[in-house]
Amino acid sequence: MKRLDFGKRLVNSILPVLLAFVIGGIVILMIGENPLDTYGILLGKSLFTVKGFLNTLHYASPLILTGLAIAVTFKANIFNMGVEGQLLLGAFFSGIVGTSLPASLNPAAAQLICLAVGVICGVVFALVPAILKAYCHVNEMVVTLMLNYAMIKVLEFLATGVFRDYSSGYVCKPIIKENAMFPRFGNSKLTMFFFIAILIFIAMYVVINKSKLGYEITAIGKNPEFAEATGMKVHKKIMIMMVISGALSGLAGAGYMMSEQFKYTLSFSGNPGLGWDGMLIALLGGHSPVGILVAAIFYSALKTGADHINLYSAVPKEIVSVIQGLIILFLAVKFVDEHTNIRERLFRKKAGKPETAISEEA
Amino acid sequence: MDIIGNILYDTIYHSAPIILCVIGGIFAYKANVLNIALEGMMLIGAFVSTLTAFMTQNIALGVLLAMLAALAFGVVFSLMGVTFKGNVIIIGLAINLLASAIAKFVLVRMNTSNITLSFMNVADLKLHIPVVENIPLVGSILSGHPLITYISFLGIFFMWVLMYKTRFGIYVRVVGENEDAAKSIGLKTDFYKYAAILIGAVCCGLAGANLSTERLGLFTNDMTAGRGFIAIAAIYCGQGSPTLSAIYAIVFGLARALSVNLSIYAGPAAGLFDVIPYVIMVCVLTVVSVLKHKNNKIRGFKNE
Repeated sequence: MKRLDFGKRLVNSILPVLLAFVIGGIVILMIGENPLDTYGILLGKSLFTVKGFLNTLHYASPLILTGLAIAVTFKANIFNMGVEGQLLLGAFFSGIVGTSLPASLNPAAAQLICLAVGVICGVVFALVPAILKAYCHVNEMVVTLMLNYAMIKVLEFLATGVFRDYSSGYVCKPIIKENAMFPRFGNSKLTMFFFIAILIFIAMYVVINKSKLGYEITAIGKNPEFAEATGMKVHKKIMIMMVISGALSGLAGAGYMMSEQFKYTLSFSGNPGLGWDGMLIALLGGHSPVGILVAAIFYSALKTGADHINLYSAVPKEIVSVIQGLIILFLAVKFVDEHTNIRERLFRKKAGKPETAISEEA
Repeated sequence: MDIIGNILYDTIYHSAPIILCVIGGIFAYKANVLNIALEGMMLIGAFVSTLTAFMTQNIALGVLLAMLAALAFGVVFSLMGVTFKGNVIIIGLAINLLASAIAKFVLVRMNTSNITLSFMNVADLKLHIPVVENIPLVGSILSGHPLITYISFLGIFFMWVLMYKTRFGIYVRVVGENEDAAKSIGLKTDFYKYAAILIGAVCCGLAGANLSTERLGLFTNDMTAGRGFIAIAAIYCGQGSPTLSAIYAIVFGLARALSVNLSIYAGPAAGLFDVIPYVIMVCVLTVVSVLKHKNNKIRGFKNE
């Protein structure tokens, strides 16, 4: 029975990805390129060479953390869309601490301080919507979205004015000191940060699947009024979830700063941003930690592969963003749920073809 | 005196696209569908209108196609959300990402970072109302806006009539309040949900055309900058009433106008003025919510 459930969840995750790739392929055909070649470059360079795979793991580390940050709250039907803002704030201030620490400090201590600063910033920024949601019943989704924009503007002001590094030609703040950087392993980009992410992943796996808090999160997600009636303090749990979410996003930002970017620029988290990528990953992984780990690595492969597409073919790498949007769109619909009989459903699909109707619309 | 005039003129200028989004979005709100795709629909409207105008040099056609493009996104949204019963928040998010991704993809294919309509002058699109124009102060505030700006303000009244004085509006609200009851009296609930979402989509397309083609003659990616979400916040604050929600939209327009006009005096801190509208929205939302729940004596946590 359990194996059957797992199969259905797998179908629900893989079918949207395939559909999105098919539509993306049609777009690539329309601009006169070969989709199979493009997808070959996309996945081959990022998954099937040693260096490429290690780089993929490196870029997956912040995504694992943001994916978990989203999953913790979304699982309880609390929509913390502020992961992006929390991540940027954590990254910015860990970067500032990284530049101002004395260069003689022990590297381990410097790295620990920077990570802690990132976590604290993420938590503080997540507390605002958490308090508003838990005690004033303000819709947390709108608040976190608004605060994201506000935070991006504030950081833009700080980066262009107060903390600007005038020696560089573009807007950025000074590079962090060497002792706050994570050293790289060999000639790949992989650093300690990946192993920190894996440690957090294991901790979150235990919390979500084996602990009382994990059970409460699931219960609140299913029915908050019932959860309250059975004696769970929903207000308090919302605060705890948001704090965990903020801490994870702050850590992701600080780690990304110390292992990849080393300085805050206006395009620090790329486009559409690590926080939004985290949302896709949480959805793709079905809010379960193991699913998130797999999804993060898959998604990171797409991202590293996108750069190779630009190098080796005429297809713009923006095609990956289009595919990403399509994946989320199709993920929203459960093609197979717990109650449907797969065989019956497959048979009906052959007769009615509901999916082709969708893909034509999109 | 001059600066007050400027601020008020800019208030109308910046409110218009948000008002359009608000008066379109309230129908989905009243039909109990949370439409967070307003942002994406507005962006695709802005993009298609500028692209069409750039290709054909025909602005009217651009506005028309912008509305059709937003309508197509609305159809996708309602097909996935209403017919296939997907999670509307995720679908909305996907549409927002998709709109931005499509615009970016086409821009990269065209080898530009933005589309500029050099064949026309934006000032020509401004309408000067004959008599009002000559009244001091009032004339300079009310006259000289592009057509869609006037449509947006007239639209508040029109949508109020549609919402409260027609059978359609009543049925949409019935579907939102109690879907089972609506079904039991034989209403096609899905039809009303579709209609509510599509009205919002068309309005957003219009808002996008206003934002890019009509006001600036320019499209840059992600130029909507969260206006769709501000519209959602305004709808929440006004609880779906066309007039009240539109007033909140104007409050945002005012905050934006203040930040633009005062930034001349602020020097390097000017960037911080952009934060004001977002913070004001959060504060307003909090106050409204606290007032709403002040007399709530229900113990525990109620899910909305």
